[in-house]
Amino acid sequence: MSEMVTLTIDGRSAQAPAGTTILEAARGLNIDIPALCSNQELTPYGACRLCMVEITHGKRTRLVASCIYEVQEGLVVRTETERVNNVRRLVIELLLSRNPKHPRLLAIAERLGVDKSRFEVEVKGCILCGQCVRVCREVVGVSAIGFESRGTDRRISTPFNVAPVDCIACGSCAQVCPVDVIPFKEENGVRTIWKTNFELARCEKCGRYFAPMRQLAHFSRVTGLPLEHFTQTCVHCR
Amino acid sequence: MEALNVYAARLLEKNEYFTPGHRACQGCAEALAVRLVAKALGRNVMVASATGCMEIISSPLPFTNWQVPWIHVAFENAAAVISGVEAAYKALARKGRIKDRGTVFLGMGGDGATTDIGFQALSGAFERGHDFLYVCYDNEAYMNTGIQRSSSTPFGASTTTSPAGKKVAGQVTWKKNMAEIAVAHNVPYVATACSSYPFDLMEKVQKAAQTPGPAYVHILSVCPTGWRLPPNKAIWIGRLAVETGVFPLYEVADGRYRITVHVPELRPVEEYLKPQGRFRHLTPDLTAQIQERVTKEYRKLVAKTQFTY
Repeated sequence: MSEMVTLTIDGRSAQAPAGTTILEAARGLNIDIPALCSNQELTPYGACRLCMVEITHGKRTRLVASCIYEVQEGLVVRTETERVNNVRRLVIELLLSRNPKHPRLLAIAERLGVDKSRFEVEVKGCILCGQCVRVCREVVGVSAIGFESRGTDRRISTPFNVAPVDCIACGSCAQVCPVDVIPFKEENGVRTIWKTNFELARCEKCGRYFAPMRQLAHFSRVTGLPLEHFTQTCVHCR
Repeated sequence: MEALNVYAARLLEKNEYFTPGHRACQGCAEALAVRLVAKALGRNVMVASATGCMEIISSPLPFTNWQVPWIHVAFENAAAVISGVEAAYKALARKGRIKDRGTVFLGMGGDGATTDIGFQALSGAFERGHDFLYVCYDNEAYMNTGIQRSSSTPFGASTTTSPAGKKVAGQVTWKKNMAEIAVAHNVPYVATACSSYPFDLMEKVQKAAQTPGPAYVHILSVCPTGWRLPPNKAIWIGRLAVETGVFPLYEVADGRYRITVHVPELRPVEEYLKPQGRFRHLTPDLTAQIQERVTKEYRKLVAKTQFTY
């Protein structure tokens, strides 16, 4: 067990192990901070900026992203000040100008009292939180997708915009996406993701399609077991 | 989500809100279902629990397994209490005494507390349209008091109050279709789930919690003790219940049916009945009768999914 740090969040005293973030400590107190890019399984990233909080340490007061700021002894955190809400409102308006429809964004906007974005709407869908890229790299371990270009052209794509070579079609990116913009389809034994068709393996016992062949080949590579060990029967029939 | 199950397990919430160390029997799939429901709902939830296994095993004084606000109420009024909690919360938020944090209200009970004793309170709560979620953990009898039959006990099952003998072969009535009764109340979201399909279950519970208005989730929770099964077979028999069509997994959102776990071809019901001690006495005749009923009910369900309006 690591060392415990005492801090104050919204006037309440909290204890958190050193090395955890303000966001985690606040959630432990059941204080809800909106956040779209944080995920317990992934390294903190600080992309969406919705989780901004005001911290006072010594004499200075400033705004930080709570999902990447680690707790410190004696830190005073406030999560619902006027300054914080102004920043969050600006951020959600910027996000809404990229994706004006998704219920998750609309729910956050409603809570912050934002009806409509003051910026020109330019529908891109993706909010560039980077969860898909990090999942692919850290959880799945293949790095099949990444960011492309810079500035306003920044987007998620496969290398050279062609069928991804390393993708195992596991669908983790589509599942983790907070705004559900990664198209994912499964029909007649073919899974379509990243504009590429992947063949699914069929269970010899029950006849159900259960996993993409590429994913099973990946398991076989990682575990060092023969491919037949994975491709013959589904988990239900094993 | 069930199709993506390989990495999904690693991307779930890590905190436990129904912690280990409870006193459920070995292999209890109901405790597993409660854990998954608590995980799916997270920290921002209030729970009212009817009397039953889950209350007994999780709150032996002075301990508790619940990491969220939890209240134990009488057998019949879990739905009434949670609708009162919801109404009070709404009123306090309206008057500005508390801040509305979008808390989820969860009423829960076993099949006895839902289909028999708490039925009227639940029906009333549905009718009044409170914004709450009711989860029924259906283990098909009053297991807590020693396996007495309930109206959710399936036909032919032997329990201590419907024992199989020379004249009568166990339970003589068919299982009450509680999910269909909830649909008849015109509630916005109804689903059936099983703890053998964890991702499907969690997805449905989250969907139900996000739905404004009442929602109902009926979870088949295998009870190795009462079903006379070895504890290590609990998950397996739950899968068989779905694959034989005895307990199809579907959801009804705004009156539209959708089967969530597709079974290409139903397995014979015998595969599900045979391993269970409570069906040991069944003759081929009775098995055929059950098979006929299951096939008919499944066809009815499939027909409902094709119905559009």
